[in-house]
Order: sequence, then C-alpha cells, then structure tokens
Amino acid sequence: MFGKGSSKCRIDGHGLYVHVPFCRTKCRYCSFYSVPIAEYDTGVLVDAMIAEMERYELGRNVKTLYIGGGSPSSLTHEHLLRLVSEAARRCPAVEEFTVEVNPGQVDKGLLCQLQTGGVNRLSIGAQSFIQLELDFLGRGHTVGCIREAVQQARTAGFDNISLDLIFAIPGAELDSWKYNLQAAAALAVEHISAYSLTYEDGTALKRDLAASLIEAVDEDTERAMYELTIDELAKAGLDQYEISNFARGSFECRHNLNYWANGSYAGIGPGATSYLQGTRSTNSADISKYTEAVTSGTSAVAESETLGGFERACETAVLNLRRRCGIDLVEFKRRTGFDAMQLFAEPIRTYLKRGLIKKDGRRVFLTREALGIADSILCDFAIV
Amino acid sequence: MLQYFFWHLGRIILMSTEQIRNFSIIAHIDHGKSTLADRILELTGAVSEREKKDQILDDMELERERGITIKASAVTLNYEHEGRKYMLNLIDTPGHVDFHYEVSRALAACEGAILVVDATQGVQAQTVANAHLAVENNVELIGAVNKIDLPAAQPMTVAEEIEHTIGIRKNECFHISAKKGTGVRELLEAVVALLPPPPDRSSEPTAALIFDSHCDDYRGVICYVRVFAGRLRVKERIRFMGSGRCHSITELGKFTPKMTPVDELGTGEVGYVIANIRELADVTVGDTITDDAEPAQKALTGYKPPMQMVFSDFYPGNNTDYPKLRAAFEKLTLNDASFSFAPHNSPALGFGFRCGFLGLLHMEIIQERLEREHDIDVVQTAPTVSYDVLTKDGMTIRIDSPSELPDITKVAELREPFVRLEIITTSDSIGDIMKLAESRRCKLLKTDYISGMRVTLEYKAPLAEIVYDFYNVLKGISHGYATMDYEFVGFEKSDLVKMDILVNKVAVDALSLIVHRSTAEARGRRLITRLRKSIPRHQFEIPLQAAIGGKIVARETIKAFRKDVTAKLYGGDVTRKMKLLKKQKEGKKRMKSIGSVQIPQEAFMSILDSAESE
Repeated sequence: MFGKGSSKCRIDGHGLYVHVPFCRTKCRYCSFYSVPIAEYDTGVLVDAMIAEMERYELGRNVKTLYIGGGSPSSLTHEHLLRLVSEAARRCPAVEEFTVEVNPGQVDKGLLCQLQTGGVNRLSIGAQSFIQLELDFLGRGHTVGCIREAVQQARTAGFDNISLDLIFAIPGAELDSWKYNLQAAAALAVEHISAYSLTYEDGTALKRDLAASLIEAVDEDTERAMYELTIDELAKAGLDQYEISNFARGSFECRHNLNYWANGSYAGIGPGATSYLQGTRSTNSADISKYTEAVTSGTSAVAESETLGGFERACETAVLNLRRRCGIDLVEFKRRTGFDAMQLFAEPIRTYLKRGLIKKDGRRVFLTREALGIADSILCDFAIV
Repeated sequence: MLQYFFWHLGRIILMSTEQIRNFSIIAHIDHGKSTLADRILELTGAVSEREKKDQILDDMELERERGITIKASAVTLNYEHEGRKYMLNLIDTPGHVDFHYEVSRALAACEGAILVVDATQGVQAQTVANAHLAVENNVELIGAVNKIDLPAAQPMTVAEEIEHTIGIRKNECFHISAKKGTGVRELLEAVVALLPPPPDRSSEPTAALIFDSHCDDYRGVICYVRVFAGRLRVKERIRFMGSGRCHSITELGKFTPKMTPVDELGTGEVGYVIANIRELADVTVGDTITDDAEPAQKALTGYKPPMQMVFSDFYPGNNTDYPKLRAAFEKLTLNDASFSFAPHNSPALGFGFRCGFLGLLHMEIIQERLEREHDIDVVQTAPTVSYDVLTKDGMTIRIDSPSELPDITKVAELREPFVRLEIITTSDSIGDIMKLAESRRCKLLKTDYISGMRVTLEYKAPLAEIVYDFYNVLKGISHGYATMDYEFVGFEKSDLVKMDILVNKVAVDALSLIVHRSTAEARGRRLITRLRKSIPRHQFEIPLQAAIGGKIVARETIKAFRKDVTAKLYGGDVTRKMKLLKKQKEGKKRMKSIGSVQIPQEAFMSILDSAESE
C-alpha cells in the first residue's frame, strides 16, 4: 500500500508530529502510552518512524514540527538527533520546530546539537518548583535541574522556551501554587502550559486516590488556582491564549494553534494521530505491531474515522472555543462551509444570556467566567 | 334443546347445555393456579405431551417473566365422565390485587370455580378476595388444597382455614398436587358432578357477554364471549348493545387452546367472535352482543367499568417523540382496556399524557411494555390518586393531579379515596405491621385469627398512603409472609393540603403533591433533600423550596459546579474528547428542562418518598 513511489498523503495544513513512546520511568500521574526505554531496541523503531515519514508528502507544506512523547530526551542523543535531522530534512519550510525534553535528561551538548539540527523551540517538562511535589509526581529530577535546563537552553541559543506546570496536586494550596507560578515566571520563559492534575484510570495516582491514600484538592481551591494562574501569568506578561496555554507576545505554540484551528497534521510513530483530508487516524500503539506494519509496507493505522460535514463543524467549534479568541466566523465559514451563528444558534443564545459567551464582531468566544467550566458549554457544540 | 358444535378433532357431537361446565380457577399468586390449568389441559387431551410447555396459558413474555397472569384466557376442553361427554370451558384469571376487575369479568362468565390454596402457605389475602368475588357473582366454589406433595404441606390445617374464612366445609375440600397430577382427575370429576351447568336459555333472544377482548395484528379485535341466551352463528349480523354498533360475524370459534373455528356457539358456551372490528376501543368489555335481526330486550348486567386507582403523567423524554409516545399508548390499549391515557399539558414538562391504571403493578407493567416494545424514553411523574374537591359554591370536582386543585380560597373540603385493606400475616409480625399501618393513617377495623399462627388484619386506609410502596414495605417487615388486598370504599373528608415545590424560584406543577397536614412539613423536608440529591449541579446555584399555602417549609440549595474543563486537548485527544462531550450532551437530553434547570426522571419519582426508605 505504502512505499516509495506510490501515492502519498498530502498534508494541506501545517503540522508534523513525531511521537517517541519511550520514557526512562513512568510518572505516577501519566496515562499516555509509553514504555520503559531500557526494554527496547530503540534503533529499530527510529528506523521505522523515519520510514513512515516517507508515506507523507511533506515538503514545503509543513510549517510546524513537534517531537513529543513519552520522553524524546530519553532516547540516546544519536537517535534523537537522527529523528530531528530526518524530519528537518523533509520539511525545509518549517517555521517552528519543537522538541519536548525533561529536566535532568538534557545537557549543553545535546541542546546545542538540537539547535543546529533545526530545533528552534523547547518544551521543558518542569511540572513544579517544589521538590516534594516533584517527588510526589514521580518525576525523578530536582528543582535545580529545571533551572539548569532553562539556562543551558538559553546558552545553546534557544529564544523560544516553554515550561509545563501542574496545579492542584494533593497537598497544594493557593499559596504554594502562587509560589510555583512566580518561580516559573521568574525564569523569563516565552511560554507556559499549566494543567490541572487529572486522575486517569490505570495510573498510580488514581489507585492511591481510590484507596483514600491521598486526597484531591477541593473544587473551589482548584478553581481558585486556575483563576490565579491566569492573573499571575498575565502580570508576568504571559497572556492566556488557550484554556491551558499562556504566551508572551507572539510566542504562542503554532503547532498547537493548528490543532485548535482544526487544521491538518500528520502523526508519526506508535499511537500517533493524523488528521488529513477530513479523516482522523491513529497508529497502533503497540511498538512491535507498528514496526512490523511499517517495515512490511502495510498500514500502521489501528483506528480511523472520516468525519461528515456536521461533525467537522462541531469539532471545529469545540476546538476554536478552547482559544481565548474563540470562533472566527469568517474562518469558520471558510473551513467548514457553515455559518456558526446559525448552526449553533441555540447554545450561543443561551450562553450569551448567561454571560458565558460573548460576541465581538466576527469573534464568538468564551468569557473569563466560562473558562473553568468550559466543558459544560462545549458539549452543546459537540453535536447538532 | 340441542345444539351443534365441532370438536377440534373434526367430530360432530350433539350436546345439551346440561353437558357444559363453565368454570375458573381462582387462587392467591403462586398457589398453583396455572400449574393446575396445565394439568387439566393435559388430562383432557387438549395439549399433547409434545406440545406441553409449562403454564401454557400465560401468553405474554412479560407474564411469564413475572409469574403472573395479566390477561384472562379461555379454553374449551373435552371430558368424559361416567360414559357421558362434557364440554368444560376453563377461564384463567389473574391473581394480583390490582386486577379485581379482570377476575370479576372472568367469573361472571362462569357458573363455578375451583378455589386453590397452597397447602404450605394457607389462606392468603387474594384467596379471600377472589372467593368474595366469586360469591358476588353467584359462582359455586370447589375447594382444593394444592402442593400436598411438598414436605411442608399441611392439608388438614389449611382445609380448616378455608372452612373458617370461606365457608367451604373442610371434608369437602380436595387434596391435590397439580405438579404431580395427584387428585386432579377427582377434581375434574367434581367439576362435572358438583358444579351447575349453565341454564338452558337457548330459545331466548341471543345475549352473549363479552368478558374480555384482545387485538390481533392480522384479525383485528377478538371478543371473548360467553353465550347466555340464544346462539351466535357465523356470518350473522350482531349488535353490540352498549355501543349500538353492528357488525357481521366473520369468524366464530373456541380455544382448544388454539383458535378453532366453529359455525355456531350455543347457549352456555364460551368462545370467541371476530367481526372485522379494527379498534379495541369499539369493543366495551362487559357489553352484550345480541342478534341484530331479533335482539334481546335487555343487556346482561353485572359489570362495573374498571376503576382506575393510580394516575401518572408520562412525557416523552424528547419533545419530538410525542407522536411516537401516543402511538405506543394506542398500541398498548389494544390489549388492555383498563389502561387509559389522555393528552395532558404541564407548564413544566410540556405535552404528555395523563394515564390511569388499576394499581401500581398495572402501572409497572405498562412502563415495562413501553420500554420493551416501543423503546421510548419517558419522563414520568410520581403516581397519584384522585381527590374530590368540594368547592365553596357547592360543586364537587374530581381531580387526579395536584396541579388541578383550584385556588385554595375556593376549596371548602378535600376528600381522598379510602379503601378497605385486608392483610393476612403470621402473628409474629403483627406488631411491626400495626406500626406501619398506623404511620400511614390506617384505622384498624378488625383482627381475626384464621389459625393458631396466622391472622387477618382489616383496616380502613387512605389509598394515597398505600398505593406506592406499602406492599413492598409490608413484605419486608413480614419477611415475605404477609399478603394484602384492598377494595375501594369511597371518598372521605381529610385534612389535606397542597404542597408546592419550587425549583430555582419557579413552582414545578409536576412535583407538587397533596399531603395530609399532619405529615406535610416533615414530608416537605425529606422531599427537598431527595430532590437536592437527584438534581445534578448546574452552572448556577439552584434554590429548592417546599411551600404550603405560600409558607416555605423546607429549603435547600444546590451549589453550582466550579470546575468542568479538560486540561489538554491536542490532536491525539480530539476523538476521545468529542465522544465524551457528546455523551455529556446526551445526558442533558434525557432530562426535562424546567426553565434552565435540567431535571432527571428520578427527581420526579423522588416525591414518593416514604420514611422507611431514607
């Protein structure tokens, strides 16, 4: 089916995502598919992933590249750099190239090589600046490592750095969260993603919660933490542009903006998702199955769905509304063919009345009050 | 006088009315009525061994599942006794307290009945109730103590109970085991020997009683008839005396148990009439069929129209399903003449139907059939009873929903329905049962020991207090031993008030109820608490209030939820997240909107609390 010379999938949108399914250890809150790297012959997988890249017509269409996971920085330098160079080579017009790294897994050398390899954005998995919290989450590094990683990244020439933070960790309070926000802001990074801790099925954290060994932060405090995030980061010059994402100036993550615009992207690697020509497909998450499929020239896709017009319109609305700028009515019409004001007349009317949605010219967006309870509003846009 | 009929084996046999016996089997639930019917069908050859399926007469899947008979069914059997041939018409009857009417209809078509009592259980509430119905309808009783094969059987003791409560002499009771077949032949012989034949009125103008009906998809309405006078002949033009309508008989027959056509049904016979009638509504059970050319002077008497005791409003979960719900109800009435529905509009819930039932079991059966056969989501209000309102200007209005209550300033008196409640139980539960009854405003009329360990308690009870879960609670506190039966006695004045429920400051008519003043406030508080637990949190705070005559007697608040947002939504998350959001939306749809508050089905039923279930 696939292979050199046969028909490839066009990407008429922007993004290429590469998923590295390995980690050194599994964090206690993580439900992503990843396997301990020590058990695998990563070289074979890296080869397969590069082979999969051949199936897509990349080239100048691809504007953003993102290597995530798992932990890309758990790969050997050689393997990681190989992925970077193979991706960069195939996407000469890329404008934003992000690699996710973990504190304690990078050093000056690697960071310089990433820079020269074409990576121009770094996403560092900081999570917390309180050691107890890092230990609780099972992160395996120190607070010092975070600061060190940022410093090294600057030295290596990165001028676009993002930090991930987690709030509402059991035991946290509004004050401790404020401390984290300020510590992160003090590092003068260009971008912060702040996520509320979620208890996913199958994680160690969920088991502890179910066994009453730990207690979740209460709802009111969690909400207060979220509101504090928006305000504190704004004070530090990082404006909220999506429910969980904050950026200085124009340093929004363009790769993710593509998701929220419901644009197209190709996903490489086990468990990676692509959205091309109205069809969303996900590769098999099983590393052996994936590798076998790719090397034998068959499809590595495990699940796929092709969306009809209405479904696509609903997804676009839901994704758009995650952005602070919301739905752009003109963009929406162009992308889906529908008039959002008509298609979603009822929920828009209801939420306008309740002050949870606002309309300003061609923008329809969630108000500040709505952000913390966005899902209860978005569900009304999920189906017409 | 001689009549002709065709036997199911094709033989023509001449018989007189003297050779006919019309009888029923009556019993408390699970005392073996249906097993006995099975045995009788086997013994008389109506069903071959191969065709045998336990409890053949229980048609509907639902009936079989619940182990109860909902519809009456009739079977014509061959029997030979002392060299003579007899035609036995066996009519099966329901045993549950809700279906008095169906039992009485079946009994009116009979001259006799076998009263079956379980030898391990003794006389129970429906044993007594059914026996009374039989006597009211001039039906001769033969007593049969059943399940004598069981180790716990006490046939002599039970026979004594029967003598004490019903009056059938104990040494005249038959001891049988329907399961094993013991004594069944003797019982059948007694049916022939002891039960009277139908009177010979063959020379009178035709009069046949419709004691049941059923709508078949292909053949239309099938009327179950008992011919009292004259005869019915196929192709004849008949008149339904109650409705005045005329039809031609297209098919006439008997159940053997399969439908077997005949040319004629004579005096004393039981069978079916098909007359190209499409709508069950066109056939009134209890009506008399007569010959259009030579009609009878008077219709047969003895029936009361079914009395509906319990009412509930049904609304389609989705407004667009309204026609579907109506069609479903229409289909349900095809085979249930005692269920009724009428369009009803609630300011809170929109367009729906006010439905009337014989009792709670009847309502549950309709609910299940609605779900099982028609797959519609409904929102249903809690079942209520009717009330009589005496207004200040002397009018009496019957209301079957609290929202119909006129302005309180116009009301002089409120009356609620009372029943005579009979409970049979073991003496060790008397104390708890009496406490239960007292807590439900029941007044003890009589106690009677039917045997050393068992007692009958007779109460005058407000129907409203026992219509919902009294039976279940009774079963619980008596460890399953108690049985009950009730009979409507009339509407009486009571100190009743109307309690309104306000959700988000708006009175929801579907939640309001009529309660006795003595328990109103406590009831209100419990109700508000239950509502708080069953209404989900919303984007805004929701005050819940119970009010009586403008005075708030209970108040609670449902807090708004503060967090409902997904932290991460990137490419790989979209499929899963969209599914979840759609599910969230579907969840909302299954509720009723009252203003901006979504109220789930459970909330409407929560107003039926009882202190015991807290």
